[in-house]
Amino acid sequence: MASSQELSDFLRDVERRAFKQTVYAVRDEHVALDIVQDAMLKLAEKYADKPVTEYPMLFQRILQNTMKDFWRRQKVRNLWTTLLSSFGAGQDGEEDRDPLDSIDVGDESANPMVQLERSQTMKIIEKALEKLPARQREAFVLRYWEDMDVAETAEMMGCSQGSVKTHCSRALHTMAALLEKQGLGSKVIANLAVEL
Amino acid sequence: MSIDNTNQQNIEQSEVQARQIAGLLDAHANRLSMRTLKQLENGRARAVKAHAQHLAGVNVNGDGTLGHMVSWASHHRLVVTGLVLATIISSFVVLQSFNSEPSDAFLLSADLPPEAFVDKGFEPSLNVQDNHMHKKT
Repeated sequence: MASSQELSDFLRDVERRAFKQTVYAVRDEHVALDIVQDAMLKLAEKYADKPVTEYPMLFQRILQNTMKDFWRRQKVRNLWTTLLSSFGAGQDGEEDRDPLDSIDVGDESANPMVQLERSQTMKIIEKALEKLPARQREAFVLRYWEDMDVAETAEMMGCSQGSVKTHCSRALHTMAALLEKQGLGSKVIANLAVEL
Repeated sequence: MSIDNTNQQNIEQSEVQARQIAGLLDAHANRLSMRTLKQLENGRARAVKAHAQHLAGVNVNGDGTLGHMVSWASHHRLVVTGLVLATIISSFVVLQSFNSEPSDAFLLSADLPPEAFVDKGFEPSLNVQDNHMHKKT
């Protein structure tokens, strides 16, 4: 059974990644925060008796399920919204933007140009990831970002190992094509990875 | 053979690039706004508090047996709900079978007047008459 300290360390380790992954999936930072916080609480309440070694898989599963719940609710809400109103949401999102949210924490680079360039590159990569179909993105994130093997990814996604390989392969091809289109070839990516 | 090797090399190159992209995303994930970090910290604190409360409240008997039972129950809510419902229904049925008092509906729909059921000597005398009738036949 994991201690509270172990749980805290585990969550500290995964929370930022989990947040970013959720943002790429739901494309809304506020919703992503709610989902991650919800997943943390579910892990703590429902799996308190599990050893800490099982937490990575459990947390990922809870996170994916919470995202799916969100999409289900969103689908129903959209249906009602479409039925009840034909007016669009407008550009409210831009007005609500807080300058505090765009300040990066932890970027030691003093050169604003380098920061700007890096930030723009990351935006391109993030956009490419967001453009992937949900299953391909899920496979990419679990396999390469969460560093799970094919069997673990298949178990997490509830599909065969062959499907995982197919999803990953398609995701990689699409990402590579999208990045190449924006001038981010494999060499540029490799250089950036070395810099970081 | 050479085609296989080329394919293998392509796959390996793609995997390397995927890991580089994942590395970049990981590095970028560590650069969140102060507000987001604060909210994540709050969420983590709430989760840890809930975890501590769960551990403190569940292990009443020390060896965690009750803890496992509560955990099992929380993971099998449907089964637990079914068991509770089955217990309630079976208790109701058992109680009904032991309850030999005639119900209001029976009293009101019977041919005899309700006063006949209040009279304590009425039922034994009715039984005696019934026995005589059986003997005669």
